[in-house]
Amino acid sequence: MRALVIDDSRATRAILSRILQQVGFATFDVADGQLALTWLADNGPVDLALVDWNMPILDGLSFIKIVRANPAYADMRLLMVTTESDIERMIMALEAGADEYAMKPFTASVIREKVDILGIKLPDTPVAGGVV
Amino acid sequence: MTTTTIDLQQIGAEIWAAILGLDLQPADAVAQHDSDVVVVTGVVQITGDWAGAVTVQVSEGLARTATALMFGSDPADVTEEEITDTVGELANMTGGNVKSLLAGNCQLSLPSVTTGRDYQVHISGAEVVERATACCDGELVVMTMLERRH
Repeated sequence: MRALVIDDSRATRAILSRILQQVGFATFDVADGQLALTWLADNGPVDLALVDWNMPILDGLSFIKIVRANPAYADMRLLMVTTESDIERMIMALEAGADEYAMKPFTASVIREKVDILGIKLPDTPVAGGVV
Repeated sequence: MTTTTIDLQQIGAEIWAAILGLDLQPADAVAQHDSDVVVVTGVVQITGDWAGAVTVQVSEGLARTATALMFGSDPADVTEEEITDTVGELANMTGGNVKSLLAGNCQLSLPSVTTGRDYQVHISGAEVVERATACCDGELVVMTMLERRH
């Protein structure tokens, strides 16, 4: 299982990657939505993308809309992880195609719970990933 | 718009506990960093129906500890870039949580970070409307909310 963590904060990417690796994902990370689209074009779809909202170049909401418009990425689960906690923003993200929504600050258990809700079947043995 | 219902102390405590596993305890309300301490300040601006900024100020030592926890590394090994990133993200989370409590439609800027000794942060046309001080591992954390009046 592969996960792509998209956040302009390296620190948050590091934390989210560790959490996902602990439950068995191979993780990769990029700093904005445009880099994420490039990564996906080069490496193919992932099982799960964690997407921040406020990022330079291309924000998370725009990234989600672009991904959802591409049939090649139809099976990707999209989890928005953001400080944008207004209910209006949450609805906007879900309507754009996000499958789930987690607010910062998050805990490891919240992220694991969201992964469970998304119904992703994980391997028994955790695997390593990479950083872009 | 009233801002008196926003509890920066509580917001900060929740963020530091969830993300870093660190306990923020309330400190003397007027406490401030000594002038010889290197202080790292993260700032996010809020625009829209409410306009202003939220700042988070920590000593370089505490910033280093927080950074090591976020990156899962040794405090001695963290870089200035990683410290800047970490304090910026703590300010981003604090500002985002403040924004969620404001009425109306507001937007959050990307964070900016300043490091140095004996300086003050001024936001043009804004004044402090909330200030919270906390203690973490014997170090001071100062969180402020500044509102633009015009």
